[in-house]
Amino acid sequence: MPPLIEAHDLSKNYGKHVALDHVNFAVETGRIVGLIGPNGAGKTTALRAILGLTPYEGRLRVLDREPFGDRAALMRDASFIADVAVLPAWLRVDQAIDFVAGIHPRFRRDRAHTLLSKTQITGKRRMRELSKGMKTQVHLALTMAIDAKLLVLDEPTLGLDILARRSFFDALVNDYMDETRTILITTHQVEEVENLLTDVIFIDRGRIALDCSLEDIATRYAAVAVADDMLAAARAERPFFERRTLGKTVLYFERSDLQQLANLGELLTPSVSDLFVAKLSGSAA
Amino acid sequence: MNDYAWLVRREFWENRAIWIVPSAIGVALTLAALFGNVQIPALSAPDSRVLSGVVLFGFGVTFVVVMNIYATWYLLDCLYADRKDRSVLFWKSLPISDTATVLAKLFTGLIAIPLVYFIAADIATLLMAFIVSVRAHSALGGSLWQPDLWLQLQVLWLYLIVTTAIWYLPFAGYLMVMSAWAKRAVTLWSIVPPLAAYLLERWFFGTHWVGTVLEERALGYLPHALRDNAGHGAWVTTVVGDGTITTPASIWRMLDPLGFLTSPATWIGVMVGIAFIVAAIQLRLRRTEV
Repeated sequence: MPPLIEAHDLSKNYGKHVALDHVNFAVETGRIVGLIGPNGAGKTTALRAILGLTPYEGRLRVLDREPFGDRAALMRDASFIADVAVLPAWLRVDQAIDFVAGIHPRFRRDRAHTLLSKTQITGKRRMRELSKGMKTQVHLALTMAIDAKLLVLDEPTLGLDILARRSFFDALVNDYMDETRTILITTHQVEEVENLLTDVIFIDRGRIALDCSLEDIATRYAAVAVADDMLAAARAERPFFERRTLGKTVLYFERSDLQQLANLGELLTPSVSDLFVAKLSGSAA
Repeated sequence: MNDYAWLVRREFWENRAIWIVPSAIGVALTLAALFGNVQIPALSAPDSRVLSGVVLFGFGVTFVVVMNIYATWYLLDCLYADRKDRSVLFWKSLPISDTATVLAKLFTGLIAIPLVYFIAADIATLLMAFIVSVRAHSALGGSLWQPDLWLQLQVLWLYLIVTTAIWYLPFAGYLMVMSAWAKRAVTLWSIVPPLAAYLLERWFFGTHWVGTVLEERALGYLPHALRDNAGHGAWVTTVVGDGTITTPASIWRMLDPLGFLTSPATWIGVMVGIAFIVAAIQLRLRRTEV
């Protein structure tokens, strides 16, 4: 079975600014992939290309389609929440459900009603009357009621308070995700999503800085807290990043024989956010 | 087809003015008929028939003028509004092509909105005729019911809707291009290119081609779509009180569908209009930001 998303030499320029620089990656069915990078790294450009919102150079296949030329057909099997603020102010909740039910062959109206019945939101409310958190609930209910193979979320919780963020991700993992679905999330808030991801792709200045499953992080990367007397020996093992903390130095290594480093100090598997900082600061140095 | 019905319905949800404005005009006219001071000169039956025709036509014109202003504004706003509030990202997350979206909006502006005004004008004039005839017990009130006249106005309305949609397709397409393209101040931007072309042509070439083309398109509709064969009994003059009114003897004789559909100007306009609409679709495909 071919990957759900396959990018080969994907590039995009805005004038002289290179947003994506010959990028290669693939996303397999059943994964929850985080596309992570600092602001302006090219995340949103990559997503726009995947969703058929922008032309690009290179080869890109999403659900075996060419997204830009075939967006309408692609959206029968894929759905996205670009930003929770994009539901128009004049739209009523019941109109939104009627419209999506009318045009989307894979929309299940009963499911949308079930999801919304758990909230305080009634059908006659217009989006302009709803708080940002409530709008998110409406958008999520609409999207989760679509039987899509691929769900793309672009900074989905931007501007939401902590309660709304938590319920957003809880609903996503508990009520939506199963082995037939695939989710691609972009965010610059790594801590928020690292517990639900199965894979991460780090993107920095238009290039892929890391493309790895979470299981593989443990076998490929290690953070070692080294006491000062061992520092010279540890540095000889060529860490790609180091930082001082509480009288020790934490050194980050990428190699296949991580157990060899155990004599230098305590061996830890770095969290996604630590690895993100290490990888992107390291490459900038 | 089903998708198009939903897309047009969505336009009615977003732009409630489509039906609120003509309803308000209709209500105002009905109220005027109910409470206004109805003074009807004593007229012979044929004269009152003419006068009632003028009255009905006059109300129709009120609706047509407001409708044209509104439809112009609608076409200029329809693609821009989605980008301004970023809801284009929601609409594009649904399995509807940009071609379908643009065509549904074009249909709304050129056909659906005029039809709503037509229905509102019809209901309002029927109500008025009823009210006036009850209040005045007059020949005028009675004559407003003439089925022949009423039928002629129905045909005239439908003929105008179809032929203006065809004749003004290039203007509609141009407005949609601007709506899909402009980053802000859509109305201003829509005026700049023709004005600049007109002025530059005058300064550098001393010619008047752009102005002539625009003028012929703007004013050429009536001579192309309607026949003006005065002297062939098409027009009649009636004395009403101290003045006279000149009216068409019959609306049937004014309509010129064959002349309209065989005129090269009609089809050149259609081709230019299609080119603009293709451009608007291409812009809608690529532009999601304002």
